[in-house]
Amino acid sequence: MSARSVFPALALLAALAGCATSPVPPGTQVPAERLAASVVPGTTTRAELLTTLGATKTVVFDSGYEAWLYQSPAGNGRFTEFVILLNPQGLVAKTRQGPTSTPAP
Amino acid sequence: MRCRSRLRLCSFFLACAATVTTVAAQAQNTPSDTSVATVKVTTTRDPVDKSYRKMIKGMERFEREHAYAPAASLRFQLLPRTPDVNMAGITLRLAGDTLSVKVPVEPDNSFVLPRNEQLLREDAAVLANRKTTSMTWRATIVTPGLPPGTRRLGDMRLECRVGVEAGLVSNSSPLFGWLSNALTSADEVCTSPNGNYLFFAERPLFAVRLRAGARSETLPFHFLYAGGGLPRAELPFCDCQVLLDRTYYVPLWDKAWPDDTLVEFEYMNNLPEAQP
Repeated sequence: MSARSVFPALALLAALAGCATSPVPPGTQVPAERLAASVVPGTTTRAELLTTLGATKTVVFDSGYEAWLYQSPAGNGRFTEFVILLNPQGLVAKTRQGPTSTPAP
Repeated sequence: MRCRSRLRLCSFFLACAATVTTVAAQAQNTPSDTSVATVKVTTTRDPVDKSYRKMIKGMERFEREHAYAPAASLRFQLLPRTPDVNMAGITLRLAGDTLSVKVPVEPDNSFVLPRNEQLLREDAAVLANRKTTSMTWRATIVTPGLPPGTRRLGDMRLECRVGVEAGLVSNSSPLFGWLSNALTSADEVCTSPNGNYLFFAERPLFAVRLRAGARSETLPFHFLYAGGGLPRAELPFCDCQVLLDRTYYVPLWDKAWPDDTLVEFEYMNNLPEAQP
């Protein structure tokens, strides 16, 4: 194998090695009761979410909508997802709960 | 499941690594490399244009594995990939060395590919009148009569097999494409939790649920929005760049969900009620 062909292979191996240790950030953990009490569709704002629940995993779309993911402990090391949809005006549009699973590290 | 997001992120690192190695290899091809033979290229073909032969192979796979979706037919569809692409009035043609055939495109940008032996012999390209990186292509296999806002898992299993076989998934870098092909086949992509074959809903999604008889499950957050972890700077490398809010995965690999499983969509916005 020539040096020219070895270099790309080493670069790819290095990239793969980096991937093997890349962590996946989970959503912020908040008790289910606190989520239910703090988030009201049509009323709660983005600023209120940040104040009461803290920042979490968020996906922002070109439309201006945002999806926020929180997780609440469900026992035995499992967590239930709580997903919040914020509209472009910064108001909670809707929420959903579940599924319950073991979170990513 | 845990490694799905890692692998998605990983694919971008690999793309970067591939790009770096390409540049490095080109840098080594200095003018002093007189031993390299000169090849005269009379025509060029954009590497992202679709191969007619590969798409026909996808159609042949559809026929072989029609049992996944016995009541459905196969169409292909063009979808936007960059924010500036105009998806109205797209024309499509099959371009061989001596023959060019126009392919009718429906208003929803779907089409059926005709079979032509001469174009196969000439290794024709499937060309649209748009920049090739501005769109992505998918197979569309839909069983008629499904409830509104649903799909059928068997249809999607077959879409994946046909789509990968036909080489429809777009990649920004030719080396990225080479790498993808080296590491994955249609069988691997469509039967592995790490296959990461992207689907696109008709409208922005809030939730996706699977339903088979009495069993119903909401898919985890990381099945939506291309995993939900792509930095904006990496979106241009993904087919999902402008369809991020419509993007989702389904567990094609999980045989516990039968082909007749319904995939139900909850959208970000409900459609207004029809006026009587």
